[in-house]
Amino acid sequence: MAERRGPTSIHGRLLSYLLAPVALLLVAGVAVDHHVIVNPIHNAFDHSLSRAALAIVARIHPGPDGQPQVGLPEHPSPPLRAMAGEHFFYRVSLPDGTTLAGTPELPLAPDDQSADGFNFVNINFRGEAFRLASYRTSETGDPLVVTVAETPLRRDRAVHRLDVAFLINDTVQMTAVLLIALVGIRIAVRPLQRLSRQIIGRPPEALTPLSTEQVPTEVLPVVESLNTLLDRVRDSVLSQQHFLANAAHQLRTPLTGLKAQLEVLGRDTAGTPLQERIALLHGGVDRLAHTANQLLTLARAEPSAHRDSHFTPLDLQHLVGEVIDSSLDRALAHGIDLGADSRPVQVNGVYWLLHELLNNLIDNAIRHTPAGGNITIRCGAEDGHAFLEVDDSGSGIPPSERERVRERFYRGGGNANDGCGLGLAIVDEVARVHRAQLSIHDGSTGRGARMRIDFSDPA
Amino acid sequence: MRILLVEDDSLVSDAITRGLVGTGYVVDPVPDAESVAARLADTHYDLAIVDLGLPGEDGLSLVRKLRRSGSSLPLLIVTARDGLDDRINALDLGADDYLVKPFALPELAARCRALIRRATAAAANEIVIGGLRIDLSGRRALNAAGEVLELTRREWSILECLAHHSGRVVSKERLTQAITGWSEDISGNAIEVHVSRLRSKLGGSATVRGIRGLGYRLEDG
Repeated sequence: MAERRGPTSIHGRLLSYLLAPVALLLVAGVAVDHHVIVNPIHNAFDHSLSRAALAIVARIHPGPDGQPQVGLPEHPSPPLRAMAGEHFFYRVSLPDGTTLAGTPELPLAPDDQSADGFNFVNINFRGEAFRLASYRTSETGDPLVVTVAETPLRRDRAVHRLDVAFLINDTVQMTAVLLIALVGIRIAVRPLQRLSRQIIGRPPEALTPLSTEQVPTEVLPVVESLNTLLDRVRDSVLSQQHFLANAAHQLRTPLTGLKAQLEVLGRDTAGTPLQERIALLHGGVDRLAHTANQLLTLARAEPSAHRDSHFTPLDLQHLVGEVIDSSLDRALAHGIDLGADSRPVQVNGVYWLLHELLNNLIDNAIRHTPAGGNITIRCGAEDGHAFLEVDDSGSGIPPSERERVRERFYRGGGNANDGCGLGLAIVDEVARVHRAQLSIHDGSTGRGARMRIDFSDPA
Repeated sequence: MRILLVEDDSLVSDAITRGLVGTGYVVDPVPDAESVAARLADTHYDLAIVDLGLPGEDGLSLVRKLRRSGSSLPLLIVTARDGLDDRINALDLGADDYLVKPFALPELAARCRALIRRATAAAANEIVIGGLRIDLSGRRALNAAGEVLELTRREWSILECLAHHSGRVVSKERLTQAITGWSEDISGNAIEVHVSRLRSKLGGSATVRGIRGLGYRLEDG
């Protein structure tokens, strides 16, 4: 499964939202565990320390002088002996502080009148930390204080070991929770991925509503608003196409009538003074018809106007042949040699749009090439990309105007030809629809212009 | 030659009628598809010009109906719609050619001439271009003076292929395919040689124009 990271990834966001709280929970859990376990452990060790004190008490006997005597062997066995690496001290003293046995410097735990007579305290003794217990008792007769102290290494080690165990245990649990959450997220976002595949798999011009089946309730509003949007786009595209079709019909029909009537009138008035004025009128109607056609083409070339964008694989060489065939008479009438230098090359395109593109380029070339000149259409593949070129031997386009000629209704300086200034705008628009680039160069013979369309899709 | 014109716009209808009558045709204009059947029942037409955007029954449905009824009347569609869809639709339904408004009258007249010629050629098995008469069943060509041209088999094949697409550019590849029935190894240069011989034999009755980088076109005189 392709994993998408980054700020817009639901995986990433959920993970980052989960990770911080889970890490906090982990720390808190270990701390709670530590606090829960540390007192029983300390109590157990304190208990064992108090047994050492009781063991000492057991060895106290009243001496012959009435003074209590402590009969400890030279090398006592535990609990009266320190383990390796630990220290153990004891002191038997009277309530007035007189030491009877053991280490006289050992301090006493303050008496807090506890029921069992034991008092515990943490101290520093001879530069080391000690746990110290004082047992105040009168069971041998006179009140005595038995104090024992040991280094808390074992209890610290026990607490530490348990802490580590808790940490490992809690980490394993949290990781398991995270993994389960991640798997859960994956499963939960599957409908989203299905939805995105459904959207990606649609042809770009498909404006039909998305299916709401198997869409989770949380995502349903998204799908529904998408469908509303698609509805609106479909409506506006349909109404635009309807408008264009109507406009085309309403413009073209009377223009056809006017044009044909003027042609008939021109023929009927041949040889009379009226003929010249009718020819002027005819020229005007022709220009009007041309402009109307170009405007309609431009409107239909806009990407938003694509009802059924017929992007089909087509051969540019075939297209070149077709367009030359239909433009040949116009070129011959202007005394221009129109020819081709083409190789077969496939592009994915809308046939009639590319037809308009090439037709406009040739139309332009014919307008700007004097009689006796030539126009060559080239197509083929270069570096794996298809190109289309119209090369003429006409007046050319100065570099300073090469950007501006693409603007709508722009007409070159001193241009007395009857173009409406939309030809290259149409070419530019159609090229854009096909992810192709229009560039303008000097003609290859050193004169004229070379208009080149480079397709970005691999040929 | 009689042409049936189905066009609702009177400005267009009147101009086409005047224009075509001026070039020697008889034109009967009708304003809607519904009047067509009655006209066809009692008159023989060589061609019908049908506007697609008719009131009531539209042009496409008229074309469909005519073809379903078995009529082989040549049909030229004129329309203000320029989408490829409509064009393919009309041609699929059985129209013979398609012209987008606004067109020039000479263009319309040329299309009419070509369609009528094609229909006549199919009937008579003969194609006439300028002064040249090509007898398809007799596999011979006659010049303006009525003399049979002495053509080799390859020259005849080239002329036949060009004549079938007269007025249109025929690619060198297509011409090569047309003559490779006899020889497998024909180079582009060989075609040029055959065409140049054919050209001199045709004399002035018809012209074979060479189109740089594309092929050849057979033109009137």
